[in-house]
Amino acid sequence: MASQPLAGIRILDFCWVGAGSYMTRLLADHGADVIKVETSTNVDPVRMSPPYADGVAGVNRSGYFTDRNSSKRSLTLNMKTARTRELARELVRQCDIVSNNFTPGVMDRFGLGYDQVHALNPAAIYIAMSMQGDSGPERDYLGFGLTISALVGLHHLTALPGREPVGTGTNYPDHVPNPAHAAFAVLAALRHRRRTGQGQYIDMAQTEPTIALLAPAILDYTVNGNDQSPVGNQSPGRAPHGVYPCRGDDQWIALAVRTDGQWQATREVLGLQAAAGADPDWSTAEGRYAGRDALDQVVAAATAGHDAETLARQLIARGVPAGPAATADRVIADPRLAHREHFQFLHHPEMGERIYNRPPFRFSATDNSLTRPAPLLGQHTAEICRELLGMNETQVDDLVRDGVLS
Amino acid sequence: MTAALAGIRVIDRSGPEGNYCGKLFAELGADVILVEPPGGTALRGEPPFAAGREGDPEASLRFLAYNTSKRSVALDLGQAAGQEILRDLASAADLLIETDPPGWAAARGIGYTGLAGHNQRLVVTSITPFGQDGPYSGYPADDLTCLAFGGLLSLGGYADGPPLQAAGQQAYAAASVFAAVASMLALLQAQASGQGQHVDVSVQECVVMGLETAIQAYDLEGRVRKRTGGITRRAGSGIFRCRDGYVFLMASGLGERFWVSLLDWLDDEGAVGMEALRGDAWTQPSYLETDEAKDSFLAVFGAICQQYGKAELYRRAQKWRVPLCPVNTPGDVVSSAQLTGRQFFVEHPLPYGGTALMPGAPYRLSQTPWQMTRPAPRLGEHTGEVLRELGYSGERIDGLRRMGAI
Repeated sequence: MASQPLAGIRILDFCWVGAGSYMTRLLADHGADVIKVETSTNVDPVRMSPPYADGVAGVNRSGYFTDRNSSKRSLTLNMKTARTRELARELVRQCDIVSNNFTPGVMDRFGLGYDQVHALNPAAIYIAMSMQGDSGPERDYLGFGLTISALVGLHHLTALPGREPVGTGTNYPDHVPNPAHAAFAVLAALRHRRRTGQGQYIDMAQTEPTIALLAPAILDYTVNGNDQSPVGNQSPGRAPHGVYPCRGDDQWIALAVRTDGQWQATREVLGLQAAAGADPDWSTAEGRYAGRDALDQVVAAATAGHDAETLARQLIARGVPAGPAATADRVIADPRLAHREHFQFLHHPEMGERIYNRPPFRFSATDNSLTRPAPLLGQHTAEICRELLGMNETQVDDLVRDGVLS
Repeated sequence: MTAALAGIRVIDRSGPEGNYCGKLFAELGADVILVEPPGGTALRGEPPFAAGREGDPEASLRFLAYNTSKRSVALDLGQAAGQEILRDLASAADLLIETDPPGWAAARGIGYTGLAGHNQRLVVTSITPFGQDGPYSGYPADDLTCLAFGGLLSLGGYADGPPLQAAGQQAYAAASVFAAVASMLALLQAQASGQGQHVDVSVQECVVMGLETAIQAYDLEGRVRKRTGGITRRAGSGIFRCRDGYVFLMASGLGERFWVSLLDWLDDEGAVGMEALRGDAWTQPSYLETDEAKDSFLAVFGAICQQYGKAELYRRAQKWRVPLCPVNTPGDVVSSAQLTGRQFFVEHPLPYGGTALMPGAPYRLSQTPWQMTRPAPRLGEHTGEVLRELGYSGERIDGLRRMGAI
């Protein structure tokens, strides 16, 4: 197996909370030395967010934190002191990438705005992932993952018609659009740097990648003037396309029929030949879509007696896209994910053997299995000070006592 | 200015699971050639269409959104001559993205092994519902069923209704963006070592990355997270109806800071019944979860919401540093003052004539800017041009046309 693709790349990571940390973990998981700069005087809020190991709160016990910070090292620096800012500048000189997701202006106050970093290290790639980006009349407006979903249209579109919008039930932009877009931009900048030696500044607003992924709805408005309303589980032109009840408490199956052949197979598996499925209006996609409300009722009545996983297996075997609405416990036990070794259990000094998501792709010649759990708060402070700042134990101890390394 | 990915050639043979991945490469400067079957890539048949052009393969807005800046070559890969052209294209390429069922390409001599034999540095990224091997590999799936298997479906929706899909085909979106990260990692490695590899992306596994804390909640606390839409979890946060839609408020559960700001704002608005919101009880999370607290809050805040539209509430709340934002529709997003101020949307030509506003740069790289270089291509628009670049003679191209290979 080849070495990790980002071996030898060092990242000084000021990201905290969600999207930023999830981005740098993707880089850390592929061999970058990510130094997470934190402070115990204002801890990363997700360190104090549930779930906690055994339900017991503590800065080193949150699963919200650990899954966003695998493979990283933690350095505590209290950025409020002048001495700390001097140390940070020295670290900047030794890094390839500097990352943050603060509101615009915060890094400048630390003496670590892009211009300042560029002066120290012209080859540095600098990524700033503020919520609104570094320009525009609302650049200082505040929000969180959930409010970003609302701001960009995802919340409005994810709803049943006529009911209040509900969204995905998660901070979706934090976990998919933002970290992946940011990682892609950083890797592209790294490619440019390898060719030219040139660093650069990347401004990524935490709203814009999700809007890019909703582009078809945006174009429906800009081209057709159609300001889309939510459609629940439907898909235009297709039926049955939805989520139907199954046997047991709160069990559901997702079904997405596209072709007439798939509908025929669905009818057979559900035993609908003789009954309503014989209605000729439903033999074509147009007819099924036009009659989708009645069709949904017939399908729901037929699925209700089935076990979701068994029914999904039967339908899939007949070529019909179907799947049980898996809850987290079932996802963890999923045989497909197990085959891919998606979930890994890593030993954390305080939490014990705990679950981590591995990056969602495999390489034929590079092993990207995880080896290091998330760090304890300040776990690598002394190590990093020795290694990169040339300090001895006494100097480290003095700075800890003075509150610089805290 | 040179582009970040200048000189990289990408063969994009993908369907809906991967078209956005190719676009990410194209708009940072790679030469991306969309290789389509004679009938066109699948998204050309997907709604919404430009009004009056329903069914026109050049007018699917979903296709147009995800295929800008690419060139199109139409190839019949069922024919030996078509396969040979693909091998020639891949010999001169750095990356090939494909979404066929596992084994489909290998059976035609155009899988990773077949192509890498002619081009050692080639990276092939395969995006499939469940991965290249293992249980269900090669079985049918759809965006909705990948959301189901990946667990995100179970988290969205109303507590009293069925699980609800994330709008906008987010399983395929997740696969596209994580595939882009994976491809870029493999490309960086190939450019350093001269050795490419096969990248195996599972759509299901990409969806799992978006489960926020659900996996850890089960592993650490034995708790299965369920959908909670439609329920106000605590007073001071949630969805509120206003004059022209909804707003999303997050002023509680995040420490006292935002609650204090909220009271200041409401005082300034002259809200009626403010005395009901004062007192120590409002700093207790347990009190905020009571019906009494929720009702008291709604009585005061609901009245303010009824006075204004969502854009006005956003402006007023943010002035007092209260995390509130509008639940925007796509139309609201297009007219957002912030996005307009940042010139996020770009006016871009459409393949059938005219122009439309489209989402622009999802990130801003100072030295190697994102750029939309051309409209989404017409089917096979660049077949002759690309084959001539490969050194095919006019006569040979005519012959291939007559055979229907191109």
